[in-house]
Amino acid sequence: MRLILTFCLLGITIAANAQQNYDASLIPKDLLPYASAVIRNREETVEVKDLDNTIYHIKEAITVLNKNGDDIAHIVVEHDKSTVIKFIKGAVYNEYGKQTGKFSESDFDDVSAADGFSLFVDYRIKHYLPSITVYPYTIVYEYEQRLKQSLAFPQWQPVNEFGVSVENSSFTFICDPSFNIRYKETNIPGKAIIENGKQKTYTWKIANLKAVKSEPFSPFYKNYMPSVQIAPEKFTYYGINGSFTNWNDLGKWEYEKLLSGRRGLSPETVEHVKQLTQDITDPKLKAKKIYEYMQGKTHYISVQVGIGGNQPFLASDVDQQNYGDCKALVNYTQALLKAVDIDSYYCVVEANNDYKVGLLNDFASMEQGNHIILCLPFKNDTTWADCTSETIPFGFLGRFTDDRNVLACTPEGGKLMHTPKYIYQNNIESRKADFVINDAGELSGNMNSTFKGADYEDRDELFNEPKTEQLKMLQKIYPINNLEVQNLDIKQDKGPNPVTTENIKLFARDYASLTDGKYYFMLNPADRKSWVPHQVRNRQNSVYINRGYTDDDEVTYTIPAGYHLEKTPLNVTIDKPFGKFTATMDLKGNKLNYKRKFQLIDGTFDKEIYQDLVDFYQTVVDADSYTVSLVKN
Amino acid sequence: MKKTLLLLVFCASFIKPASAQDFPFGTVSDDELSMKKYSGDTSAHAVVLREFGKARIDVGSDNNLRMWYEYHVKIKIFDAKGFDEGTVKLLAVNTDDGNRYETIDDIKGVTYYKDDDGLSRKVELENKKIYPVKENKNRSYYNFALPGLRNGCVIEYSYRKESYRWSDIPPWYFQRQIPKIFSEYEVHIPAYYDFNVSLKGALKLTKNNPTIENKCFTAGGNSCDCSVLDFGMNNIPAFVEEDYMTSRYNFLSAINFELSQYTDLSNGVKNKVTTEWKDIDYQLKDDFAFGSQLKKKSLFKDRIIPVIAGKTEPLDKAKAVYTYIQHLFKWNEYYGIESRDGLSKAIDAHEGSCADINLALVNALTAAGLNAETVLLSTRENGTVNPLYPVISDFDYVIAKVNIGDKNYLLDATDALLPFGTIPLRCLNDKGRVFSLDKPSYWMDLQNLPQREKNTYALDFTLQDDGKLKGTLIHYSIGYDAYTKRKAIKKFNTFDEYVDDLAGKMSKIKILKSEITNLDSLDLPLGEKYEVEIASHNTANSGKIAFSPFFIDKINTNPFKLAERSYPVDWGMPSIDMFVLTMHLPANYTVETPPQTTSIALPNDGGKFVVNYQAEGNIFTFSHLIQFSKSVYSSEEYPYLKELYNKIISSEKAEMIFTKNK
Repeated sequence: MRLILTFCLLGITIAANAQQNYDASLIPKDLLPYASAVIRNREETVEVKDLDNTIYHIKEAITVLNKNGDDIAHIVVEHDKSTVIKFIKGAVYNEYGKQTGKFSESDFDDVSAADGFSLFVDYRIKHYLPSITVYPYTIVYEYEQRLKQSLAFPQWQPVNEFGVSVENSSFTFICDPSFNIRYKETNIPGKAIIENGKQKTYTWKIANLKAVKSEPFSPFYKNYMPSVQIAPEKFTYYGINGSFTNWNDLGKWEYEKLLSGRRGLSPETVEHVKQLTQDITDPKLKAKKIYEYMQGKTHYISVQVGIGGNQPFLASDVDQQNYGDCKALVNYTQALLKAVDIDSYYCVVEANNDYKVGLLNDFASMEQGNHIILCLPFKNDTTWADCTSETIPFGFLGRFTDDRNVLACTPEGGKLMHTPKYIYQNNIESRKADFVINDAGELSGNMNSTFKGADYEDRDELFNEPKTEQLKMLQKIYPINNLEVQNLDIKQDKGPNPVTTENIKLFARDYASLTDGKYYFMLNPADRKSWVPHQVRNRQNSVYINRGYTDDDEVTYTIPAGYHLEKTPLNVTIDKPFGKFTATMDLKGNKLNYKRKFQLIDGTFDKEIYQDLVDFYQTVVDADSYTVSLVKN
Repeated sequence: MKKTLLLLVFCASFIKPASAQDFPFGTVSDDELSMKKYSGDTSAHAVVLREFGKARIDVGSDNNLRMWYEYHVKIKIFDAKGFDEGTVKLLAVNTDDGNRYETIDDIKGVTYYKDDDGLSRKVELENKKIYPVKENKNRSYYNFALPGLRNGCVIEYSYRKESYRWSDIPPWYFQRQIPKIFSEYEVHIPAYYDFNVSLKGALKLTKNNPTIENKCFTAGGNSCDCSVLDFGMNNIPAFVEEDYMTSRYNFLSAINFELSQYTDLSNGVKNKVTTEWKDIDYQLKDDFAFGSQLKKKSLFKDRIIPVIAGKTEPLDKAKAVYTYIQHLFKWNEYYGIESRDGLSKAIDAHEGSCADINLALVNALTAAGLNAETVLLSTRENGTVNPLYPVISDFDYVIAKVNIGDKNYLLDATDALLPFGTIPLRCLNDKGRVFSLDKPSYWMDLQNLPQREKNTYALDFTLQDDGKLKGTLIHYSIGYDAYTKRKAIKKFNTFDEYVDDLAGKMSKIKILKSEITNLDSLDLPLGEKYEVEIASHNTANSGKIAFSPFFIDKINTNPFKLAERSYPVDWGMPSIDMFVLTMHLPANYTVETPPQTTSIALPNDGGKFVVNYQAEGNIFTFSHLIQFSKSVYSSEEYPYLKELYNKIISSEKAEMIFTKNK
């Protein structure tokens, strides 16, 4: 009886939806500010029918308010061997909610999902955007996919871009009562509605979400946008079964099903590695030698095939081809290390230069992570390495993967580990310069710069380039007009604390301009900030600084004799929780000394301090554009 | 524009057997393996040792004509920055809608290297590691990475391509991003077909050796001799791109082919293809995808009546039609000169390529009783067109031209924000061919059009007792700048949201009031008026205020870094920026250091930078102007251009000091 009732209700709901009025004037007024499009209604359903048969169904009505919203209405559906599109259909409505057209799967373009840099990617996308020139208009579409797996479920993100507001959105997960799931709700106002019947259903709903504006220094979008992630206990993935409830289980499954048995090498290669390291006793130095051998031998090429792009190529394949993607290169390096009995971990990480996104402590799932790195668990000295770069020092991760949770897949199971952090005091770009400005306004002298910590990589592009190219690059790096680099000496020390040093002898005509017996020149020659973050009214997000660093400049100018300063000398000091800045100058005789120190401190700060941050940057920009004016005595 | 053009007339009176010119596959010399640097360019990360291509018109297994193309290359890779040469993506295009892809086969690849013991080794490319990728309905690729790359290795690969477009002899690019020691192209053309051959770029051929191959071609029971053209070039330098240049294809040394005449094998009649413009005019007139679409009088006959209702002046009619077409279609971002599926379909779909939209525009203008023509052109990224003889495939875009009285206006309806008579930057290139149904076609210059980028700023400020500046800022964006500004504003949902963003960007300037004029009147200058308050310029000492009068769009760094240039600087159109500042100082202030008046000009009226200053009592007027009056500056003019920027930067460093009298 109950079952029949549910069916009836369901029927009524569908009927009601079919008659929904898409008149654009019915959109609540408070959903319009900053919105280019409004999601009128969106219903997402995931139904696990069997371990190898999950149905994903989506129905969405979206009103595009102006041209900027076209992209939001662009329908993109992925498919591959394990994800099959069952149907796609849709219709277009005009401003008044009157249907003006229809579309179906045959209107969609089918294109490779190749990202431009991969040699091969085995999934494809179908996409379509109806051509409407009169705004507003509404697109209503519906599609269904069959996923031949039950491990990686689509996560619910009712809104995941700026400029979109949401009237109504819901997510329903349907499965057999015996199919256990775990779920993680983030920024969801209500709780899941769970109904137990012949099928178990979990439903989440959200309504009246205002459009979000982009705010500088915001946390990672997932940290403030609503989402629901779901992970199964028992699953099938590309024909492989498994079960997990935590990272340990999942890491073990990955190790056993995706990694083990892929590290075999030819006896010649094993012998070669042994010979290579025979004179080294310290295991860490051995590992370094092997890592550098791997770097010199291989290069990175992305090829995404098989098991959702999660299984590495055979180590023997990489040994022969000399190329591989991150998985293949880590797996290969592990194989080389194994040849001399050094243990290592294959680690899943979410690589991101702009945000440190770690795997979730409290929620294990396959969908986290986009990159693989290597961990060497030496006693009291855990060492990390990225195998995709041909130049990065052994033990150095850089901005791409530092300071975040990763999953190490080991024979004993998975374990969450945390990569080392480069702290702001150690991310240093420091510079000492000794310049002469002559009567003709020409600048000449030496400038020595060092780059440490995360800043170590800042001059990477210059290495292995011919002199002529390096000089051109420096002209673009430094804001000194008419820069002529007369001598360049640049080095990278790839030791445990990597350092890049750059020594330049330079000349630049017209550095100072002369008018009416006065000299004008920019006090800060090399490291000027010119960007100030946008001011934001009614800021919503806390202030997030992803990475801190320290810039330290000291410049001495020898100027022509017989001049004094026309303006007050620059003297600025600011000290805030998120940053410190000092810039001072003084003229003694014909020596002008300039000192500048800028520190940005990473962390999450209260949103109220945002205006302070803007003012901080503005003060720095003003100080950095300080023009020295000298008048004849 | 440096361009040598060479017409090769081959009346090969001497006959000798043509021999295969390709170098053997699968061999490498010890010299090649031990080479440490390329002496011709020691900065090269890789060098093409040898390259050979062969194009041949011949029948396929189904007895239809095909273009057979073979390519073979051997490249020395010195270091890891040259490894990209080992990742190869071969393109096969779908020649028409019928899924007739070009076929690529016989892909071979091998890498040679010396192992640690100094022994020569090689690794071959495995077939299963060649990845076919169907990119979309028009393109598919064969991707592969050569195995076993390492510093100092030599790679070699070859493939064969068969194309249904039998008369498209692939162009041959002698020059690319890495240098080449020797590059050779051999083209077999049966005597039934004539091609125009042209060499582009500054480099000279070192081998140009036409011969005759006897009875090399048989089709439909006929047979004939072939001309075998053999072009070679030695020691080709790498092509280095520069900023602000147009298509690299304008400068790369390359050889191009265009079918000019063919013999119909069924009756032996010779047919001209592209010998003269009148032939092309004739073809275009009846082409389904072009002339036929212009002739369809019924398309807009009724639709246009309400659009021009009540309008009597031809210019008003033209503007109304232009606006109507701008809003009728959404541009699908495709270029091209053909309305492939015809205008009726495009009109129904409200979507089309530039050809669909602008042919519809010409059709509609004609329907409104106006004199309208089409202009075929080559966009900036597509390069220049062949000036010597007609090459229809040089064109990749079409716009409309409407003639009213003794004036004419160029129109492109692909973008609803373009004002009447202004065409997008991508079209400002070289010259266009004007085509109409009733006149012979003719050339039109597209590099020196009247359109300009123009900005004027008028600022009126009063210095307050607290050191703040208060006043108005009026900014007019004119011509092309009005278009780009409107585009920027329309990125926001409302003007208020734009102002909100603008205010956010300027933490020292507070916007008290804002007003916009002519946002939707595309033909008029776009006006923005702001009442603003600028935070203190006070340097907090003894009543002295340092003030930089160049505080809007101040130029701090020179966009031109290189000492010299090989290719012209091409901005597409002239530009002018004007600033006028009127400042009211309180009675107790004096100006200590007025700015220097300056006037510097480029040679041949190429542009100027002018600063003026006038004071009267406690009011001063300061103005400056930056003008570039040409679209294109040659590499000879480059040093002057760079120097003008230097002077601008020098001048803009100067500050004024306002002193408070005690």
